[in-house]
Amino acid sequence: MATQLIREWTGIQHFPAATQNKLLELLGKLTKENVSSLTILVMGKGGVGKSSIVNSVIGERAVAVSAFQSEGSRPVMVSRSRAGFTLNIIDTPGLVEGGYVNDQALEIIKRFLLNRTIDVLLYVDRLDTYRVDNLDRQIIRAITESFGKGIWNRAAIVLTHAQLSPPDGLSYEEFFAKRSEALLKVFYLGGPLMWRDPLASPMPVVLVENSGRCNKNESDEKVLPNGVAWIPNLVQTIVDIALNGSESILVDKKLIEGPNPNERGKMWIPVILAIQYFLVKIIHRAIKNDIAEEPRPAWEVENFSLNGSEELDELLF
Amino acid sequence: MSFTAPGHFLSSSFTPSLSSRRSIKPSPTHIHSSLSSQNPKPLSDSKPNSNFSSQPKSLKPTSLKPKSDKPKSLFSHPLSKPAALVSSSALFLCLYSGSGGGGHFFNGGGGGGGGGGGGHWWSNFLSPLAFAKDDGESEGWDSHGLPADLPVPLNKFSGFKRYKVSEVFFFDRVTRTTVGTEDSFFEMVTLRPGGVYTKAQLQKELETLATCGMFEKVDLEGKTKPDGTIAVKILFTESTWMAADRFRCINVGLMPQTKPMEMDADMTDKEKLEYFRSQEREYKRRIQKARPCLLPDAVHTEVLSMVRTDSNVSAKLLQRIRDRVQKWYHDEGYACAQVVNFGNLNTKEVVCEVVEGDITQLVIQFQDKLGNVVEGNTQLAVVHRELPKQLRVGQIFNIEAGKQALRNINSLGLFSNIEVNPRPDEKNEGGIIVEIKLKELDQKSAEVSTEWSIVPGRQGHPTLASIQPGGTVSFEHRNLQGLNRSLLGSVTTSNFFNPQDDLAFKFEYVHPYLDGVHDPRNRTFRTSCFNSRKLSPVFTGGPGVDEVPPIWVDRSGVKANITENFTRQSKFTYGLVMEEITTRDESSHIAAQGQRVLPNGGISADGPPTTLSGTGVDRMVFAQANITRDNTKFVNGAIVGERNVFQLDQGLGIGSNFPFFNRHQLTVTKFLQLKQVEEGSGKPPPPVLVLHGHYGGCVGDLPSYDAFTLGGPYSVRGYNMGELGAARNILEVATELRIPVRNTHVYLFAEHGTDLGSSKEVKGNPTEVYRRMGHGSSYGAGVKLGLVRAEYAVDHNSGTGAIFFRFGERF
Repeated sequence: MATQLIREWTGIQHFPAATQNKLLELLGKLTKENVSSLTILVMGKGGVGKSSIVNSVIGERAVAVSAFQSEGSRPVMVSRSRAGFTLNIIDTPGLVEGGYVNDQALEIIKRFLLNRTIDVLLYVDRLDTYRVDNLDRQIIRAITESFGKGIWNRAAIVLTHAQLSPPDGLSYEEFFAKRSEALLKVFYLGGPLMWRDPLASPMPVVLVENSGRCNKNESDEKVLPNGVAWIPNLVQTIVDIALNGSESILVDKKLIEGPNPNERGKMWIPVILAIQYFLVKIIHRAIKNDIAEEPRPAWEVENFSLNGSEELDELLF
Repeated sequence: MSFTAPGHFLSSSFTPSLSSRRSIKPSPTHIHSSLSSQNPKPLSDSKPNSNFSSQPKSLKPTSLKPKSDKPKSLFSHPLSKPAALVSSSALFLCLYSGSGGGGHFFNGGGGGGGGGGGGHWWSNFLSPLAFAKDDGESEGWDSHGLPADLPVPLNKFSGFKRYKVSEVFFFDRVTRTTVGTEDSFFEMVTLRPGGVYTKAQLQKELETLATCGMFEKVDLEGKTKPDGTIAVKILFTESTWMAADRFRCINVGLMPQTKPMEMDADMTDKEKLEYFRSQEREYKRRIQKARPCLLPDAVHTEVLSMVRTDSNVSAKLLQRIRDRVQKWYHDEGYACAQVVNFGNLNTKEVVCEVVEGDITQLVIQFQDKLGNVVEGNTQLAVVHRELPKQLRVGQIFNIEAGKQALRNINSLGLFSNIEVNPRPDEKNEGGIIVEIKLKELDQKSAEVSTEWSIVPGRQGHPTLASIQPGGTVSFEHRNLQGLNRSLLGSVTTSNFFNPQDDLAFKFEYVHPYLDGVHDPRNRTFRTSCFNSRKLSPVFTGGPGVDEVPPIWVDRSGVKANITENFTRQSKFTYGLVMEEITTRDESSHIAAQGQRVLPNGGISADGPPTTLSGTGVDRMVFAQANITRDNTKFVNGAIVGERNVFQLDQGLGIGSNFPFFNRHQLTVTKFLQLKQVEEGSGKPPPPVLVLHGHYGGCVGDLPSYDAFTLGGPYSVRGYNMGELGAARNILEVATELRIPVRNTHVYLFAEHGTDLGSSKEVKGNPTEVYRRMGHGSSYGAGVKLGLVRAEYAVDHNSGTGAIFFRFGERF
């Protein structure tokens, strides 16, 4: 995987001219900023269209996509280079299995990402889901725990299946606003870290429609119901994130395994021991106290006080 | 026929002005009390009511307590009820003039005799008479052959007839009244209505009465009855002395008894005067020499008021004083204490002379199985250090101290039979020799127990080839060098042909008296070599997770520690442990990681790591310390007090992956008595509120087998072991209210356990992997049925309840 062949980005030529121009312009902007490669991590629940996004952006069928079953249970990296610029997109298996976060999948992803730098994270979900539930929260927490909260500075929410007719009485814009708000809320509530240290910039939400039946505009670009050509828009967002000044996430061993709890506080052990020494002393003193205060049967006391009470007795008689 | 008091009980009429040397001598009764303990089980032929039999050693010493009343009451019988002020001469008359049986009684069957009630005892005391009576009954009796209602003086009785006595009564000559049967006088007479007596016996009876000092004059008269029986009428004049307003109690133990100087009948008055003066002086000296006695002021005052209220000092009063004084002594456990004399009568002061029972000698004897005295293997110092100070020479013998000694010696576990006997010292009047008789247990013992398990073969049928011989081989070498050092070992396997499968062994060497047997510090060194196999509660599923493949944790290693006992319950232990921990899966293969069941039903072996090294085998050396403070005690069977335990495992960085950690636990349990109750057997126990807190934490390397688990009968009831999680730090709080009901108690409880958010700080987060909550509460109610607790506990996480049966106590 590490030695994966970096192929020429030929798919770009299949895009409509307007898109091509836009993309090249954005790439140029990146190279101007001395960014010669970009690694994008695509994550999300299963079946939301992660792989399709990869294919759509690359412009070719780089990752196998199937409508009914999840494809690989392992991450795939697609790398394309164009004019000295390399684009890496990592497609990952769905994070949910059987109603729970699939720790194993997450583990595999983490191991796959070892020693790579993530520039942009695309968190993928569907636009046409109405509810946000606990599972979303769990996924977001799992991602945060795996890669640190910093990842959300380099992340965008991608909502697929954007070509939909919103439910009655809602305009498309309204629906989109409501949906993204609900999702963002999860980020701000689900990740407890979020409101303590707010993100450098509000997380962008991008709409995507991977379907081949996607509407097209006059320049043959795929457009959303609100008239935005989504591929350039997505790449634009990605580039913005890449250049937003925050740190890219380097996935190293430490990040994967998390802070080793076994190492935490080890240096304090001598201090703890010293405190415990005093605790033992306190208990010991309490025991001595117990012995002193133990009610003794009369016979134990009487015989003992015999010598001492002699004078007393003489006084009495 | 009548008797007057013998010469040295100078009657008041004889020399009224000089009789300051009046004395009444109660009997120097011999005591035989015997405390004994059988280890491990009581012998069936022991006298059950005189022997203080202790429980088998496996039970807690506290279980002895409820029994303690019994021997106490036994001891008090023979001593508190020798209900007559009998002079020594009279006593010996009874003993030796009767037959050999009387004397024998004291040495041989003394304890047994004590079993009866007070009056009964007295009748045993004069056993020859009792025998005669029995004979008479079986052979019949002779009619008096005289007209009815005829008073017959004793000397008119026929020496050849056996008279049946149908009635006995006392008649006071002074007040001219008949004394009621409940009067203390009746305690002194052995004649019983319905008994058959000869003239000689009746004469003896009269002699006894006459010499007891209670009466100035006493006569016995028969009255014929129409049915041939006689009514015995005892006519008496009570002895009285001058009124007194002071009372004094002295301990005359170990002092030579004053012997009345022979008084010549033809002494001149001057000589007599001289004689009495010298006696008086002598007595003063005696009083001065005498040690003060233990009698507390309260009793002293009580007696004084008794003395002052009476217009004159009568024999009855003295009897009451003696009874009161002796009662106090016996209630306090001074079983050998006795009022031996009242001196200084006819002065303003009543002097009560008490022999308290000073211990003059302490003898420790070893006996073999047949009861022969042998030289024991046990060093005497080992026994000596168990004896309370109150049992040393120079102290006053107390039965409670004797019982304490018995319990202490019993807890050594070295003796099969222990007896603590106070015995009168013949050479030292008033002295007591405490005799401790010990039967040693065998030093070496070995045991083999076997069991055969039939293992199902193919198709589930047991086959011959699959019968496995299993069992335990154990040996014990106790009391090495007589210093209670012991070496014990046991090996257990379920299959001797393939012992490597599940061989469990333990070898232990115990070395008490580390600081020397004479040093009061009680430290014991222990070293052991052990192995154990336990199911890890860390790898347990939460609710709804049906099957988590189990992980077995095998530990084997060497342990050495020193235990210092502060009290019976409080102790401090510290030492080193060196062990190898191997984690295995169901099929006994080494498992480096826990398994987990995938949602699709498959099993993957990438669960949390089981060991620190990640290989499934850890070796480590760590220091261990444990301090227990326990001042709990039983109040009518309910436990009350406080128990604090602090335990520490300190990793030393020696072993696989250089484990360095500090694992600590603090347990605080309080048993609060909610109501003051009167203590005593048969009294109801008080309601008790139990408050319990347990904190466990670990800093540094924490392998999963050392993680703290939540849930289980000793953690949070209502959950399975480890069902709530496995964490780095835990806190458990529990409370229980125990309400006594009849002779058991019912209880209500509520418990909570939390991982304090530290589950994720265990490598691999087993709590989350096995879908556990990490915290949980439960509440419920239960009833204690003997050793079993039956309880209904509601698991608060799921809200469902279940009934549990558990052995032993939660706290």
